[in-house]
Amino acid sequence: MIRRAAAAVVPILVLILVVAVLSVDAFAQTSPDAADTGWFLTKRTNALVILLLFSAAIVYYTRRARKGDKLFVRKIAGLEAVEEAVGRATEMGRPVLFIPGIDEIDRIDTLAGLSILGRVARITARYESPLYVPVRYPMVLAAASEVVQQSYSVEGKLESHNQDMVRYVAGEQFAFTATVNGYMMRERPAANIYMGAFFAESLLLAETGNAAGSIQIAGTAQPEQLPFFIAACDYTLMGEELFAASAYLSHEPIMLGGLKGQDLIKVLIVIAIVLGAILVTSNGSAGNWISNLFEIR
Amino acid sequence: MKTAVPVIIAFLSGLAMILAFFLNPEKFGDIEGEMLQWATIIAGFTLLLGVVSIVRVNWRSVKRLESGWFNKAALLFALFITAIPAVIPVSWSPLFGRDNGSIYDWLFTYPNAQMQSTMFAMLAFYIASAAYRAFRARTTEATLLLLTAVIVMLWRIPMGESVFAAISPDLPDLINTYVMGGVNVAVQRGIIIGGALGAAATALRVILGIERTYMGRN
Amino acid sequence: MNIWEKLGTLDRRWVYLAVGIMVIIPLFVPLKLPIGITPEARALYNSVEALPDSSVVLLTFDYYASTVAESQPISVAALHHLFRKNMKIVTMTTIPLGGPTIAQNVMAEMAEMYGKSYGTDYVNLGYKANYTAVLKGMGIAIENIYPTDQHGTPLDQLPLMQKVKNYADIDYIFVVADNAILDYWVSIVNAQYGKPIGAGTTAVMAPKFYSFVQSGQMAGLLGGMKGAAEYELLVGKPDKAILGMNSQSLVHLLIIAFVIVGNIALFTSGRRQRIDV
Repeated sequence: MIRRAAAAVVPILVLILVVAVLSVDAFAQTSPDAADTGWFLTKRTNALVILLLFSAAIVYYTRRARKGDKLFVRKIAGLEAVEEAVGRATEMGRPVLFIPGIDEIDRIDTLAGLSILGRVARITARYESPLYVPVRYPMVLAAASEVVQQSYSVEGKLESHNQDMVRYVAGEQFAFTATVNGYMMRERPAANIYMGAFFAESLLLAETGNAAGSIQIAGTAQPEQLPFFIAACDYTLMGEELFAASAYLSHEPIMLGGLKGQDLIKVLIVIAIVLGAILVTSNGSAGNWISNLFEIR
Repeated sequence: MKTAVPVIIAFLSGLAMILAFFLNPEKFGDIEGEMLQWATIIAGFTLLLGVVSIVRVNWRSVKRLESGWFNKAALLFALFITAIPAVIPVSWSPLFGRDNGSIYDWLFTYPNAQMQSTMFAMLAFYIASAAYRAFRARTTEATLLLLTAVIVMLWRIPMGESVFAAISPDLPDLINTYVMGGVNVAVQRGIIIGGALGAAATALRVILGIERTYMGRN
Repeated sequence: MNIWEKLGTLDRRWVYLAVGIMVIIPLFVPLKLPIGITPEARALYNSVEALPDSSVVLLTFDYYASTVAESQPISVAALHHLFRKNMKIVTMTTIPLGGPTIAQNVMAEMAEMYGKSYGTDYVNLGYKANYTAVLKGMGIAIENIYPTDQHGTPLDQLPLMQKVKNYADIDYIFVVADNAILDYWVSIVNAQYGKPIGAGTTAVMAPKFYSFVQSGQMAGLLGGMKGAAEYELLVGKPDKAILGMNSQSLVHLLIIAFVIVGNIALFTSGRRQRIDV
């Protein structure tokens, strides 16, 4: 028990110590007016420290997971419902609609959406449910096609795979929305899954899906779109839950290790916020020190 | 091999972008800009994939005269009537290219822009029906949600502002300070910080090759 | 089933009809409502007002044709303010479809109104793909990203651009955006180059950016039609946004009425299950 507690606390203390030591150095070198003449931009030392800490935390917990440490991940209702929604689609003989966001592939939200698509496609392959994936960008089309085909291959259901499951619809945001809305009203998919970056079309899609009577599961890291999804969908993944979803659905310890590392950094950020709030409120030079410390130029 | 090569390319590209952030561009040149230019060029080529996909799916429906074939034929017509005149050099005729007075410009200014505006304007209707359905005091949380929504909706309009100001002249400013600048900002920051951390962790998993589902590997 | 229960299960098309009527009526019968100014809008106005006359301002047209009704009044009000103070204006867009056309039309109309000349008082750079590369690249040299302006004229032939080489020569950035590009203006240009940024954005995006105003990363914020109306009042040029506020007011009141009706229906029916609209 004590060893387990120590194993959890020691890395946090070590990381705090590293931050404290390195950040003093970072602060000393961070002067907005100082011109960088060397090969390394010293004004970004603080960013480098944060990056190294973050990477170390993720690698450390991934390695621990690989060695067999059990990691706890709380239940995410929206993801628990995915399999149920696909099962419902099979019973009703209706398709599953999956949208991996409407942004380009260089956006991490889109990559997260594609990773979840891989997991969902394995379930639709298993159940032999029709899957429809409309996309807005050709790069996403190429990646999504590969993801879906591979998922069907892994499940040994390549005969159920159809090249047109993933379709390029339109590059223009509302032309895309109109096409997908039309599909929803005609085909009445049993489940609509929205995972990725969404913008003004979020409510247009989700309200139409609601009118079509589909089970709807959404996930986005765009805070301004969350109220719309919450109002119109049955389940909504908020912010980081979207990025955790692929790891969650995979049930693979290595993937879950990354989540644990991310949580550790979050604890450090919370500590920094509380400390910063106290120091800034006390109105001393320490307040300026901590706010400069996190300023990245 | 089929897995290793893409993972290595992803790792090297990610590493190059990270290094570019820390290296002095005066010494090393604009590595980041150069890499982003490559990405733009690749994205340009993939546009062809999009055209192939859209033509294949819709042309097949038109050829087989499937249900709704007429709409698909209209889509293909619109695709080519927009794209072809836009890529023909303007020196051939002022109707070509993308300048003012061209076919492309006319198609954008009149049909396209109006259709885009209409779709966006439909949000008002959808918000009304979603609010009607969702804002019901079934639970304590739902009650808080609907009360906050009503306060903010009133505060954003002149009549509501006047009503609040009649109750207390400071009330509109208090709503701005405590609802928009207080509760709203606290929640937004929480979600933004969490989302950013999640995005960074996903990016690291991708660069390190731990997360490969996005490239079709499980 | 009583009247409230019937209203509780009202077909959504009736809701749409009511919204449509409430939008249209005030366009014919203006209500002339008093509009209050939020601290964020005033801060934006003050930050522009504090700039010396003839400063160089980068004004962006980062919005699609879909949000012209909400975003363009912000651009127009901003241009009244900027041209009145004889600012030198550089405009650009990160939106491929429509962005250049909107920028060109608005700039031409406003420049004519204030008697400003192209090339010396303002320049329209137009659109370049890959906004991350554009925002970063302009910090090194605008000419690398935009060798020519929107009309194909090399930048070194434009008197204004002979003085404006990168962000160091720009005093203020006024972003009008309807999308996530504003995040990048803040995280790249404000954070890495220290340029002050004021912004106008759609109402749905605005709550997110309050935190950037509080943290000092943005000089001020205009949120949607209300923000545009506030800026029109601040610059003393009442226009389309103030007119649009009439429709917005009635629709907000209608939605509140629907929420009240929906809740009465819920309580009179005594049901707690989902009621479909």
